[in-house]
Amino acid sequence: MSSEAFGGQVDAPFIPKATRLFGWCLLAVMLVYLINNFLTFGAGLPGPLDAVSGNGSATAWSLTALYPIGLILAVVYVGNTGARTLRQDSAFISSINAYFIRAAFWCVLIVGLADVTISFLRVEGLLEGIVGEQLAKDLGRSHFRGPYVHMPLLGLSVIIATFTRTLGFTWLALLIVVAELAIVFMRFIFSYEQAFMADLVRFWYGALFLFASAYTLLEEGHVRVDVFYAGFKTKTKALVNAVCTLTMGFTLCWTILIVGMGQKSSVINSPIFNFETTQAGFGMYVKYMMAGFLGVFAVSMMIQFVSYLMSAVADYYGHPGGRDHKPDLTH
Amino acid sequence: MELLFLLILVLLMAVALGSGYPVAFALPGCSIITIALAALCGYLFSGDPSAYFAQGGPWQWLSAGVTNLRGVYWEPERDTLIAIPLFIFMGIMLQRSKIAEDLLITMAQLFGPVPGGLGISVVFVGALLAATTGIVGATVVAMGLISLPAMLRNNYSQSLATGTIAASGTLGQIIPPSIVLIILADQLSSAADQAGTARKALFSESTGELSMPSIFDVGSTSAGEMFLGAFLPGLVLVALYMIYILVYAFIKPDKAPPVPYEGKYDRAFMMKVFLTLFPPLALIFLVLGSIIAGIATVNQAGAIGAGGALIMAGYRLKEGEKRAYWPALLAIASLIAIAFVLALFNTNVKAIHTDSDRFGVALAVVAVIGLSISLIWSGWRALRIEDTLRGVMIETAKTTSLVFIILLGAAILTAAFRAFGGEHLVKEFLNGLPGGFWTKFIIVMAVIFILGFFLDFIEIAVVVVPIVAPILLADPGANITAVWLGVMIGLNIQTSFLTPPFGFALFYLRGVAPATVKTLQMYKGVIVFIGLQLTALAIVGAVPQLVNYLPNRVAFLSDTAPPPRNPRLSYCIDRYVTEEITRNGDAIAQAVIDAKAINLDILPRKIAADAIKSFDNVDKAIENLKEANLAEQRIDEASEGYRPLHSQVRAIEADIRKLRNEADELNVLIGRLNDPSELNDRKALEARVEKLNAEMNALQQTIPSGWEAAYAKFNELNKAESDLRRAYTRASAQAYEPIGELLAVIDGSEAFRTLEADLRAIRGRLDAATPEQFEELVDVIQDMERNVRAVEGTSDIRSALSKARRAIRSRNPDQEKALAEYGKALALYTDQLDWRAKAEAEIAPALRTYEAAVRDTIGIRQQPKMTREQALFVAGCASDHRDISLHF
Repeated sequence: MSSEAFGGQVDAPFIPKATRLFGWCLLAVMLVYLINNFLTFGAGLPGPLDAVSGNGSATAWSLTALYPIGLILAVVYVGNTGARTLRQDSAFISSINAYFIRAAFWCVLIVGLADVTISFLRVEGLLEGIVGEQLAKDLGRSHFRGPYVHMPLLGLSVIIATFTRTLGFTWLALLIVVAELAIVFMRFIFSYEQAFMADLVRFWYGALFLFASAYTLLEEGHVRVDVFYAGFKTKTKALVNAVCTLTMGFTLCWTILIVGMGQKSSVINSPIFNFETTQAGFGMYVKYMMAGFLGVFAVSMMIQFVSYLMSAVADYYGHPGGRDHKPDLTH
Repeated sequence: MELLFLLILVLLMAVALGSGYPVAFALPGCSIITIALAALCGYLFSGDPSAYFAQGGPWQWLSAGVTNLRGVYWEPERDTLIAIPLFIFMGIMLQRSKIAEDLLITMAQLFGPVPGGLGISVVFVGALLAATTGIVGATVVAMGLISLPAMLRNNYSQSLATGTIAASGTLGQIIPPSIVLIILADQLSSAADQAGTARKALFSESTGELSMPSIFDVGSTSAGEMFLGAFLPGLVLVALYMIYILVYAFIKPDKAPPVPYEGKYDRAFMMKVFLTLFPPLALIFLVLGSIIAGIATVNQAGAIGAGGALIMAGYRLKEGEKRAYWPALLAIASLIAIAFVLALFNTNVKAIHTDSDRFGVALAVVAVIGLSISLIWSGWRALRIEDTLRGVMIETAKTTSLVFIILLGAAILTAAFRAFGGEHLVKEFLNGLPGGFWTKFIIVMAVIFILGFFLDFIEIAVVVVPIVAPILLADPGANITAVWLGVMIGLNIQTSFLTPPFGFALFYLRGVAPATVKTLQMYKGVIVFIGLQLTALAIVGAVPQLVNYLPNRVAFLSDTAPPPRNPRLSYCIDRYVTEEITRNGDAIAQAVIDAKAINLDILPRKIAADAIKSFDNVDKAIENLKEANLAEQRIDEASEGYRPLHSQVRAIEADIRKLRNEADELNVLIGRLNDPSELNDRKALEARVEKLNAEMNALQQTIPSGWEAAYAKFNELNKAESDLRRAYTRASAQAYEPIGELLAVIDGSEAFRTLEADLRAIRGRLDAATPEQFEELVDVIQDMERNVRAVEGTSDIRSALSKARRAIRSRNPDQEKALAEYGKALALYTDQLDWRAKAEAEIAPALRTYEAAVRDTIGIRQQPKMTREQALFVAGCASDHRDISLHF
């Protein structure tokens, strides 16, 4: 693909470079947004909202300052790595995302197993005998189980994710089957059925399709209406992908993040910071994490879209190393 | 103004979808952009971001959209969707274990010698695969690679061969377990809720009554019901395909010739057929059987299917090697052991009481461990051999994700569509069409069919269904069930796989078909099959029993079936009784005559009097029922002339209501314009209200003058019928209850006699008791009361006993009084003992004969459960769609 097709210019290094800059800035802003969200709504510090509304303290302003700092770091990074191609960056960002999703997978796996064990012991009244009366009572409160059981496990998961190399989340497909089969065995053979069993399946299934979305995008698994698309030239396809990612992909992710985390009482924030649980009594205590899945989805899609945008721009300029996008058969 | 933004939304969507960007992100992306645009324009041009929304503001709709996202997996109500990854896992596992290939080759050899045999074998295998894997792409590819070359080699016409393969591959969409059906069930259950509310509102608006009788409720649906409902239509479709191929082969033998099998049909061949057919059939039996029998939920059945598929893959991957079948054999042995243990022992882990229980649970644990080992063994093989398990997991994750992310995207789109009043617009349009329910229905079906040319089934199911289904379900004109609507839509979107340019089945087949097959030939080939699918659609549309019967049958035969007195069943129960009376009327009359001859003098007078009166009520009830049926007939006759007038007037009234709502909204606005500076605006609005009022008056004038009288007359007929029905219900209760109670009393005589010893023992203790012992005695008597109460017809004895108890329990215990009351109780007891003995010996048999004669007719409402025969009749009767529009 010659670059002459693009307005007759001999070379157009501007757009690829701008794309890299844009992508990294976007990621930096998102990271700062997430950090701010945690610090202001989770830890209760005054944040940018206070700063803007005029009664800002030093903390509020310094949190706000994170945004320009993040942007500057992104610019410096892109400036220092001027030799990197879009393809390299795209693959790099994609691998960051793979790590993020792997960590999320280990979180739901380990927390799921640990929580289901605690729930089982608790329903059967075995917990007191094992951990003593006080701890058993504490484990019955979500505000204890969340910070003192789940959070350390999350930390452990992040570490495990660093030392493993698989995709991870795909195992959730098998785990759902196993968990549902366990329900079948327990129900039909031993007449034993408890709320936490169904909760575990739901916990993993929500994680499965939300975590898998980014990888599905990478693998071109999302359905397209290819009445026209199939006939497009590579360049046109790349244009469609780049423009639509800019206008629709990022919009969707930001909408979820802003609507879900904009306030303390938002759809994602409120369950998480309250450690919300199901009303079903003896279920698992992980409902608040399922609200977080939506955040994981938005973040992982944002990262993947950045990578996708870069690879689309690279396709447009005919950079070498493009993937052959082929739809799969399992539909 | 909001309509402009609705238009922008639709156009943006068309552009984005048409450009080929992934649907899952194009749908929500366009929605959010349009909402933002409307908010911006609102802010710029009228200072209010929510100015251009039909209701609410941008923030509200965005957060509704994001909350909708969470709703897909957040609450247990939508747990049915969990079945989707399970069935996908099962399907992909089976696909990877090559059972499609085995089936195709063997069945082609089996059916080959028949004219059109190869084609028929393709349809047959397509149906089998549909009931196991249900993955269209995989099925079409397997058939395209194996059967297509064989068919072409044997001079099959290109168009017939490709059409058969593409169409058979799509059977997975309608034959359960199918992912479309699960999604449709999920969408329809919320649509049915909305429709129920809408219908109730319509009822109170048009009749002025506050509550709607439950017999007019909109029936909801579940994935299990959808599977049951789609079963027979799926078979109809398979039959249509096969008949077509057979007929084609007879008319043009050279285009679909028989293909003789070179081998011999010997025992080895039969063994091969058995070995390829049995495992998939067993799996189908397990998965669908457990759903149809109502044992397992759809999710559990999905897990069973996934486990079964894993075991099948376990031996298929090792084919030809030693010990290939060991895990499978272990699984079979464990299953047999489990069945054996379940039949012989109580294995409830929460209720282990005896040694036998303990032994049973231990055996069950051993069997489950065996089954688990075979699963792990098979899983291990799948993991090691060709990385199968990893591939299956990746494909499952991707396919699940692509389905669900579209579902999420559509959730946001639905919010945006509502925000700009789109839903309201569609409703107005459909309800404004002349010709009642069927016009609406056909238009909707046509739209879905046309959308199928461009869109995938998931998009249609999640975007179109939530908008149109509530409107169709709410219409009392056909009073359709949600299951039927779901299956009809399912059959309809099945064509989307075959319709060019965006037909998945064609797309996959093109990918694997040899270049000699012209694309035009493929298009020509599928036309007939699209026609056959539309024929099936018409058949199922005309015969709703095909869909409704199986779910009804399972529901009414289950343990949780509603009792015959449930008002929802009253229509069908009355029909059943009428039929029974027509058939057995004489026998019933004779039974009454016989019963009147029974000598009831031995019974206490009150009981005897009730019983005697009840005999007369039988005749009365039958008479009432006959009259009610006659009244119904009169309504039917009258309704023919009345219906056009009714629908005309109701349509006018709906228009008037619409105008009134508009006027009411304007009046609210006028109320707000109090400032003198707004006088002009106010005047303008008032003029519009004036105009609306004039229009309403004009419309009111168009109501035909005879309407009031006709309505009153028709209503009177309706009322006469329901009065008669009520009278019948009352009379039948009075006819049956006394005898039923009397028989219950007599049946309790055995238990009654066992009370004697304990009762008599109290006398001695009461006589000898010192005041210190009273407390203990109170407990004794209370126990006695409890035992007495457990026997029917003993309330007088019990009340005497409790008086005795109270006498010694009070602050100044009165032993004398207690003894006197006790004596009364004992006397009553002896008395009753006496007449019970006589009744048991002399009149009980005759009474039983009589009760049996009237139980299924007059007494049906008093039975706790329907008999099998009744349940089947009601299942059949409830499967018809009944027009109830004249009640609205």
